[in-house]
Amino acid sequence: MSETLIQSDTSNSITTITLERPDKRNAMTPGMLDQLLSAIEAVDNDTRAVILQGSGPTFCAGFDLKMCANDPSGDTIRALLTGLSNCVRALRALPQPVVLSIHGAAVAGGCALLGGADIVVAHPETKLGYPVVKIGVSPAVSAPFLSASIPDGPTRALLMDPDLIRAQRALELGLIHELDEHTHDRALKIAQTLANKPIAGVRATKALCNEIGSPRTDHADNALRASLSGAGSEEERAMLGALWS
Amino acid sequence: MSDLVTLTHDNAISTMTINRADARNALSIDLLDEMHRAIDELANTDTHVLVLTGSGKAFCAGMDLKAVLIELSGDETLGEQLLTSLARFTLKLRALPKVVIASVNGAAVGGGCGLTCVCDVTISHTEAKLGFPEVDLGLCPAVIAPWVVRKLGPSVARRAMLMGGVMSGVEAHSIGLVDHLAPSREELGTLTDTVAQRLASGGPKALGTTKDLLNTLDGSLDESQLLRAAQLSASVLRTPEAQAALGARMNHTKG
Repeated sequence: MSETLIQSDTSNSITTITLERPDKRNAMTPGMLDQLLSAIEAVDNDTRAVILQGSGPTFCAGFDLKMCANDPSGDTIRALLTGLSNCVRALRALPQPVVLSIHGAAVAGGCALLGGADIVVAHPETKLGYPVVKIGVSPAVSAPFLSASIPDGPTRALLMDPDLIRAQRALELGLIHELDEHTHDRALKIAQTLANKPIAGVRATKALCNEIGSPRTDHADNALRASLSGAGSEEERAMLGALWS
Repeated sequence: MSDLVTLTHDNAISTMTINRADARNALSIDLLDEMHRAIDELANTDTHVLVLTGSGKAFCAGMDLKAVLIELSGDETLGEQLLTSLARFTLKLRALPKVVIASVNGAAVGGGCGLTCVCDVTISHTEAKLGFPEVDLGLCPAVIAPWVVRKLGPSVARRAMLMGGVMSGVEAHSIGLVDHLAPSREELGTLTDTVAQRLASGGPKALGTTKDLLNTLDGSLDESQLLRAAQLSASVLRTPEAQAALGARMNHTKG
């Protein structure tokens, strides 16, 4: 019996999906991403808004690096990159709007989940970014989403500079939309507001935003391939191994 | 020329005023016809800058409810005609080789707010109300969405159009919907004059060339995209859910 790493609850037409690995800062494992994809695909048509959040002190610290380091074949990181790309695309493809609630850290794979969200609320102390070049991994998988959301300058800086940015800066860039101390409460409020609107207009508007503003599928495929190309490489094994030495 | 649109000229600056204050300058077929005519007339003048504004309290309240409510108009095709005319107007305004300023004197709602996104520069004041409440009425702001996405960037535009409602001039300024913010309604005129004079000091050919290049770079003169968007807006508009929400709004406004 596999561990429950994703919780999904539906009440009052709102489905809340929660990353449930709080003792590991919700670090992603291939199993967790499988469960996340299943939860996204299981969202009922009667649901009118979806919330994605993390339990415990932080939203998501990215991939479980210890697990990656223990697998020199690179298969674990390949499974994680593919699973992440599938989850982001599945979120975007949902007809319902997706509200993301982040706190603590939304880093690397955790930050990549922003690509599937329509509205992002962050705790003011949240840190965001893609520091994965430090472990020899390319964050290319997030590039199409970022370049379709924010200008080219900050996109390049975020993907190549391993430094993290603060929530206020992310707000200024348009990467997130609201800062709120009570992040989960605010996300629920937004989801309720969305759920109370007539359904056809909301769904048509999300679909239209996807058509105008989202990366093309072939870009998302190329981006995943670019990230996968480094998985299991000597550079990545050396840099990842150095983390634990 | 009817009095739905007033066009005045002062040296290098022209001002086009939407003159339907009793209907909060809502876009009707007749009004849009006049707006098309005014832009055609302007194309042959040598002014450098056009200021677009509204008379009375509102800038533009969006689509005329009387035209889009099938129960009232008795004509199912009127909504699509109106939306198509708006789509063509936005293209014409964008292609005008002059700097276009939206001077948002009051409510700029739905299609009215979309118009401000077509302009090159938007000026407003703290008390103005701007936004895209289409989703609150079961509608989809498709016909203006390409302009909103270009003006605000995809991420901010997505939130603004999905959340609906209206925002203050202050919030509109903070998300980039408004470029220059006057501290009060009374001070909007002075600020508009200052910015318009400054823009008019540029060489008209340099300005026209720059605008033309920007339009090429952002692909904003893609007619087929806008006409498709107008049809999508019209198809959502015809749904019973949207018609019911619009009817309720109409009664609410009356009462």
